[in-house]
Amino acid sequence: MAYYSTYYASFPSFLVVVIALYLLFTDSGESFNVGRYLEETSPFVWGSLGAALCIGFSVLGAGWGIFLTGSSILGGGVRTPRISTKNLISIIFCEVVAIYGVIMGIVYSAKLQNVPEPVLYTRENYFTGFALFFGGLTVGVCNLFCGICVGVAGSTAALADASDPNLFVKVLVVEVFGSVLGLFGLIMGLLMIGNATEFTAGSPVTSRALAVPYVY
Amino acid sequence: MSSELCPPYAPFFGFAGVASAMIFSTMGAAFGTAKSGIGIAGVGTFKPELIMKAIPVVMAGIIAVYGLVVSVLIAGSLHPSNDYPLAAGFIHLGAGMSCGITGIAAGYAIGLIGDSCVRAYVHEQRVFVAMVLILIFAEVLGLYGLIVALLMNTRATTIGGC
Repeated sequence: MAYYSTYYASFPSFLVVVIALYLLFTDSGESFNVGRYLEETSPFVWGSLGAALCIGFSVLGAGWGIFLTGSSILGGGVRTPRISTKNLISIIFCEVVAIYGVIMGIVYSAKLQNVPEPVLYTRENYFTGFALFFGGLTVGVCNLFCGICVGVAGSTAALADASDPNLFVKVLVVEVFGSVLGLFGLIMGLLMIGNATEFTAGSPVTSRALAVPYVY
Repeated sequence: MSSELCPPYAPFFGFAGVASAMIFSTMGAAFGTAKSGIGIAGVGTFKPELIMKAIPVVMAGIIAVYGLVVSVLIAGSLHPSNDYPLAAGFIHLGAGMSCGITGIAAGYAIGLIGDSCVRAYVHEQRVFVAMVLILIFAEVLGLYGLIVALLMNTRATTIGGC
């Protein structure tokens, strides 16, 4: 009853093995080419995914933290209504994580300038696409974990406050350490795209040489 | 324009290293902070005067700083106009993953140690020194990952051009 995870894990690995063997035995093993895939995928894919993951995961983390904290505040507030106003600070700490995601989403989407397909594939545009993707992933996932961490800490702060009012400020220290994680994610997101230029059109001769549009 | 040793998709792996260093160490630090924070708040309910022993939370934060350091170092060598070898990209990916995944291990250990040791501290004050020692051993796991990541990063910067 507890081992259904082995059933769920075996089907994807079975698919991977079947596809790998198919490619091997039909003499088309060369069609699995990571480098060609990265070269022929449009930088807009990476850039747009990065901006989307940035805002999506950040807001997910903020929401998760808010519901963790809010349910504890409301539950503790039944017996001790005085905690409900002071513990809104914990909610604000979680909300700040979503604000980080919005800011970075705006900064990243400013790099997504319109460039026609024939002149898109330059070295700088590839770099910007990858930077946006991994920057957005970093900001989003760091904010996600920060939001959950601050939510858990805020939940325990609310219940500690309910038992003794002097404890709130002391448990707030834990929340401050937790919120610093989102700030680190924001810093790394900005650093990663610091060198990346926005999408600019390259010269037609050199841009086309980098990408093969047709998959054999 | 496309070179065999420095293809245009090499920064993909470099940025993957930057992202994995930051993401995985944040995962560890978040778990460590949250789990030990639960224990610390629980201590305060019983004995409010002991609550300033928030050492596990600080150590979990240091794990995130390790990840930040490695990320900043790797991101500093990524530039669109530099010729960036694919080998350097893979080495940076390895460096980032080594720092990040050891950060998960260290943060997980710090979280569980902080939670249970702080609860034991409520009953017996003499376990404090033992708690700090065990926390240091857990922290040093992340430090090993940082050392290996720094070694790999210096190797990646000495790789020749295209």
